[in-house]
Amino acid sequence: MARSALASKRKIGRGPIAGAALVPAASVVVAILLSALPIVAETGWFPDFGFLILIAWRLLRGDVWPSWWAAPLGLVNDLIAGFPVGLSVSVWTASMLALDLLDRRTIWRDYWIEWALASLLILVEETAQWQVSAWMAAPVPFSFMFPPLLISIAAFPVAAWLVGRLDHWRLGRQ
Amino acid sequence: MAAPSGPRPGWSRRAQYGLFFSFIAAIVSLAIGLVLLAFSIAAPGSFRDMKGLALDATAPITQSLHAVSATVEGLASGAGNYWDAARQNGELRRQRDFMREQLIAARAIREENGQLKAALQLREETPDSVAAGRLVGSSFQSPRRFAILSAGTRDGVRIGMPIRSSSGLIGRVIDAGGLASRILLISDRASIVPARLLRTGQAVIAQGRGDGSIDVKPLEVGRNPFRPGDLIITSGTGGLYPPLVPVARVSRLDGDNAIALPLAAPGAVSFAIAQQPYEPEAMAPLTAKDQDLP
Repeated sequence: MARSALASKRKIGRGPIAGAALVPAASVVVAILLSALPIVAETGWFPDFGFLILIAWRLLRGDVWPSWWAAPLGLVNDLIAGFPVGLSVSVWTASMLALDLLDRRTIWRDYWIEWALASLLILVEETAQWQVSAWMAAPVPFSFMFPPLLISIAAFPVAAWLVGRLDHWRLGRQ
Repeated sequence: MAAPSGPRPGWSRRAQYGLFFSFIAAIVSLAIGLVLLAFSIAAPGSFRDMKGLALDATAPITQSLHAVSATVEGLASGAGNYWDAARQNGELRRQRDFMREQLIAARAIREENGQLKAALQLREETPDSVAAGRLVGSSFQSPRRFAILSAGTRDGVRIGMPIRSSSGLIGRVIDAGGLASRILLISDRASIVPARLLRTGQAVIAQGRGDGSIDVKPLEVGRNPFRPGDLIITSGTGGLYPPLVPVARVSRLDGDNAIALPLAAPGAVSFAIAQQPYEPEAMAPLTAKDQDLP
């Protein structure tokens, strides 16, 4: 008895890691930095990693961060990934506000509804990118946005799984 | 699963106020974001310093990772070259003999050209190359086509300079940091290159399509002048891009226009060279307007 009490400290005495409240924002910044990878592509089909991780955290928990944190994170994304300054700031903050308002209305939430919500947000984000580049003298047909849209929607479950693992780790659960 | 109760803090007045203020802060930052976006669209030059700093911040990551991936790629393709070496060797020999003949003919033409120009007293300045770098990154998440060049203002690169490689034109600089700069590729929708058809000398305009290919339009209305395989070269009109730089090869016809593929594929070029604008004086009235474009 004494031995087992001494040996196993797995279940008790384990709390959140130090700085657990900052882990979500830090993981979004790491995802944004993925856009600095040395990939020279002819097409812009990769998903916006920062946005995927951002909405995955927000859909997992309503209180990961105050909604306005999305604005500085969006500014970092704009600068590092080379989007027009203000695009991600607006879209990311608007998605946080939309989810805040939506949380007051929803009475049922399951995995499929989360995926549908994420797909809707990704659609809004890609449409905003498309519209802003059209305003900046680079109008491409909307059909060019279908491949990145499908890839991002398909990549969301991966982001959600990753965020779930990170959440367990930062809260000290196994 | 029932929906999470969301941010409802219970009876605590302090928590309720905290939530309310974060809501107000979010609305304010949304407004700030929209104002920033409006500035970016109306005056694209506005955040140059910030963008330059961000380029410098990520340059070490991108460039060191690029070195790693280039080494791995080099090992793989180096091993691939040994495969089937005998047949490749024979083919290269054949090509070399053919090129030798062509080279002699070209040399004769160049000398004749020089004599003719001297007779006409035509002075032509070839723009100096300023800096060389590698293309180390790209905007692979966005509908725009940008690339990152591993040379910045410390190497002499300035906003507006044309960028080319040995195989053809790549684009022009739109943001410059100390260590790296961002290039608007010729396949971006907002990039317009005054060019001409090498076979007939007819003036054309090469505009990117946003998917790695280029739309080539003839300036004169009439029969479609293009044939698949035609080469497009810069004309020097406008004063930014130097003349006689290969741009693209026509791959198929499309109505009155043609779709072409850039000769310098950004993923495949090893070195990119920044040059002085061809005729800075001719550009001066244009630059103010032109640099607002991207």
